[in-house]
Amino acid sequence: MKIKLNGKEREAMPGESILELCKRENVPIPTFCYHQAFGGQGACRMCMVEVREEGQKEARLAAACTYLLNREAEVITESDRIQRIRRTIVMLLKRRAAGDPILKELADAYAAPDLEAVVTEPENCILCGLCIHACEEMGKSAIWSMFRGIDKRIATPYDEASDDCIGCAACARICPTHAISMEEKDSKRIIWNKSFELVACRRCGKEYATREEIEYLKERSDYGQENLCESCRKKTLAITVKNYI
Amino acid sequence: MQIDVNEYKHENEYKELIENYAGKPESLLAIMQDIQKQYNYLPRLAISLISRHVGIPVSRVYAMASFYKAFSLTPKGRFVFRVCDGTACHIKNSETLLDQLQKSLGIKPGETTTDGMYSVETVNCLGACALAPVMVVNGKVYGKVSPGDLEGIIKEYGGQNHGYDNQGS
Ligand code: SF4
Ligand code: FES
Ligand code: FES
Repeated sequence: MKIKLNGKEREAMPGESILELCKRENVPIPTFCYHQAFGGQGACRMCMVEVREEGQKEARLAAACTYLLNREAEVITESDRIQRIRRTIVMLLKRRAAGDPILKELADAYAAPDLEAVVTEPENCILCGLCIHACEEMGKSAIWSMFRGIDKRIATPYDEASDDCIGCAACARICPTHAISMEEKDSKRIIWNKSFELVACRRCGKEYATREEIEYLKERSDYGQENLCESCRKKTLAITVKNYI
Repeated sequence: MQIDVNEYKHENEYKELIENYAGKPESLLAIMQDIQKQYNYLPRLAISLISRHVGIPVSRVYAMASFYKAFSLTPKGRFVFRVCDGTACHIKNSETLLDQLQKSLGIKPGETTTDGMYSVETVNCLGACALAPVMVVNGKVYGKVSPGDLEGIIKEYGGQNHGYDNQGS
């Protein structure tokens, strides 16, 4: 299927999103709420592009991460119109995440006007929803988006330590604005108002996971090698494989 | 999740209401409505029992409860004074009604008197703008309410100014 991408003919797979095509073709598009593991969410609107499908008169604005290509089309990723849209989006997102370096950088790049900052909870949260997905993927769903309108925020029920949370920090790691605070000291990790004991790797001594996460993974899968961090686990695996052949 | 011991006294009642519905995700909203109707709020224990029954994580049940105005996460009084703060009522001074209620009952919107008798809430347009300002108490509608009417209305619900002043502040 032919797609004219910024004036050049490209081949896209039917059902592929514009963003996936652009990634493959090394055409940069700014994103926040997109993650390879979950696909597009269309939440942040940072990835807006112009599309004109075969038969349409005018180009329309669309979120590249959720727009699936199903027929020949023309896609433009940079134009004055897109520039303006992104400027507005950066301006609004930066309002929520004024302390985030990536947004500062983008605000400069798009010459976005400064609005008075809003202090969100957690701080710098742009509500992209990636943490919810990450936690759901862990099979935990300890956090979700609570309340509505201007009160909407990501939280645990009652803002208390959640019985479901295992302190894996998947949420904190995936957050594009590093909004989820996590504190690690004295072999403890504190996240979402809950404190966890950190376990050291049997081989190299690095504290690599919480006790709860290890227990959970053990019961969920055949997590064979006990108490090894990821790099030591790979090493042991390599040795086993070598001995085997 | 910390659960108030008092809620355990009702555990079997909650369960009975919950088990009227099939243990599948589609039952969620209906169960929540039944519990809300019966108890005027969604107790923590009920939320955790519902979550288990329908197979939806507690976080999502709580999210749903926090999203809809029809649900309350904290106990409500026996009588709930819903003062309309929609545009028409706002213009007709709904705020002075709230001020007066605060003086008489000692509570602000969203709060409940310590004896569990009264709650005050604001709602968006009730669709009776011609009667602005409008107030609804447990389903009974009061139109063109003036601050002076409130004392009489509170009396209808048992309140005889028995020392509500300065409460809850
Ligand atoms: S740390 Fe807790 S909330 Fe975050 S992804 Fe892991 S289980 Fe979920
Ligand atoms: S990356 Fe496409 S809307 Fe967020
Ligand atoms: S604004 Fe109060 S009833 Fe419409």
